[in-house]
Amino acid sequence: MSAGGTGQAAGQGGDMPATDPAGAAVLERRYLRLLRCYPPSHREFHREEMLGVLLAAARPGQRTPGLGQAVNLAACGLVIRVRRIPGWLAADAGQDALAVVSLIAPAVVVILLPLELGALYAAFSARLPFWQLLPVVPAPGQWAAAAAAAPIAWLAVVLMGLAGHRGAAAAIAAVSLTIAWLVMLTLSVQQRLLPPGGPLQFLGSAGDVPVVLASLAACSLALSPGPRRGLAVVGWRQACLMIAGLSAGFGFPSIVQLVHPSAPGGDLAFRLLGVLAIALAVAVTRVRGPAGRRATGLVAAGLLPSLVLAIPVSSVGLAYVLVILVVAVLVWPVAIVSWLGRVRRAGLTPRGELRGLTSHLRGTGGGTAGPDRLLELERDRARTRWPH
Amino acid sequence: MYVYDMKQQRSMQEPTFLILTALAAGPQHGYGIITDAERISGGVTRLQTGTLYMALDRLRSARLVEPDREEVADGRLRRYYRLTDQGAALLAAETERRRASAAVAAQRLRARLAEGTA
Repeated sequence: MSAGGTGQAAGQGGDMPATDPAGAAVLERRYLRLLRCYPPSHREFHREEMLGVLLAAARPGQRTPGLGQAVNLAACGLVIRVRRIPGWLAADAGQDALAVVSLIAPAVVVILLPLELGALYAAFSARLPFWQLLPVVPAPGQWAAAAAAAPIAWLAVVLMGLAGHRGAAAAIAAVSLTIAWLVMLTLSVQQRLLPPGGPLQFLGSAGDVPVVLASLAACSLALSPGPRRGLAVVGWRQACLMIAGLSAGFGFPSIVQLVHPSAPGGDLAFRLLGVLAIALAVAVTRVRGPAGRRATGLVAAGLLPSLVLAIPVSSVGLAYVLVILVVAVLVWPVAIVSWLGRVRRAGLTPRGELRGLTSHLRGTGGGTAGPDRLLELERDRARTRWPH
Repeated sequence: MYVYDMKQQRSMQEPTFLILTALAAGPQHGYGIITDAERISGGVTRLQTGTLYMALDRLRSARLVEPDREEVADGRLRRYYRLTDQGAALLAAETERRRASAAVAAQRLRARLAEGTA
């Protein structure tokens, strides 16, 4: 057993189940399965010792992990995975996946925009006579110009990216995304094309597939080595298959509406069919390589907000709360990754930056807060908190 | 890699405090830390394996602990961890903080007792 506070290392627990080797093997296998919750690098480093600890703590004859132990292992594994996402995105594997996203996401936007606009127009003209559409659409000329401008802008993003001008592509993407947000905001303020709801309605349109994909495209262009790297990772054939599959899946409701204008394109059932179509397309194209699969997953996740939006909740409030939550969850990784990227490009370390920031906030000036300084800070804090 | 900076925390979480305290005695392996932590806490806290290695992972990233050596026992790798100087400094600060709060608590309790008996 472990030693007292004498400075010696504690010994191995002696209650290892030695009587039942078959049972111990079963238990070990089950623990190994639970350890899959951990990221591979963590598993590789800690698996053996964790197994040792788990088996040492097991009761004699125990064959199944306890419920508390199992939940704890799974939860901790997931926490470590989530904690590593920003680092992963900044590392090579994540950069490759983002590069593939920057290749396929803008192309899918180029295909989806005309599809969605066409479906919208078809749906409106099926329900309303043309003269009633006129007050809704500011002016047919402007409408057509706006409808044509967006896909052209995104086509430019694709071409610029392929030509190796990642910065220019990212800039065009950011500008057209901003314009799209402004247009949506104006429309929702006017409450003409869209049903009443004002800012909430704006959030609703912000969750639309092309907008989410456009945001994804803009972010990936800004944060990754760019589409040319993506092309080098997956190759032309794979890229085309992924774009076609994802466009078909995302565009499914619009395609149905183009054929049958009265079909309820925004319905949850249609969106779910779209998910199915994406899954099928991914299965058929058999996306190879981890970067390609991760990129497909990232882009396919762009459907989530609109799925949430399409949930038929009688009280609209809940759906929008969910959308806000999704947006809030999506915003933070992007913010953290972009900050890490900036720090890294400036040749600094995140830790140093954080330390400098907190020193600044505490009013103790920048520079390094070594252990001694830290000790003083802690003491000061203890004193101010407990003045007596 | 993204490092969660331990120094940002206002007060140390109990598992972290127990692990650092256990390692203050000298290098220990995982199971040793668990049994030691249980004894330090007076039998109140028994660290779960997942919690221990999540904390060790974070503490290692923050360079508060580091692997000391590896041994093979019963055909299984056993890794010992030791406290770094940085870790010791943080533990000292936390100990000081806890001592200060405990002192205030003790003082107030004494005052309360004195009032009651007076």
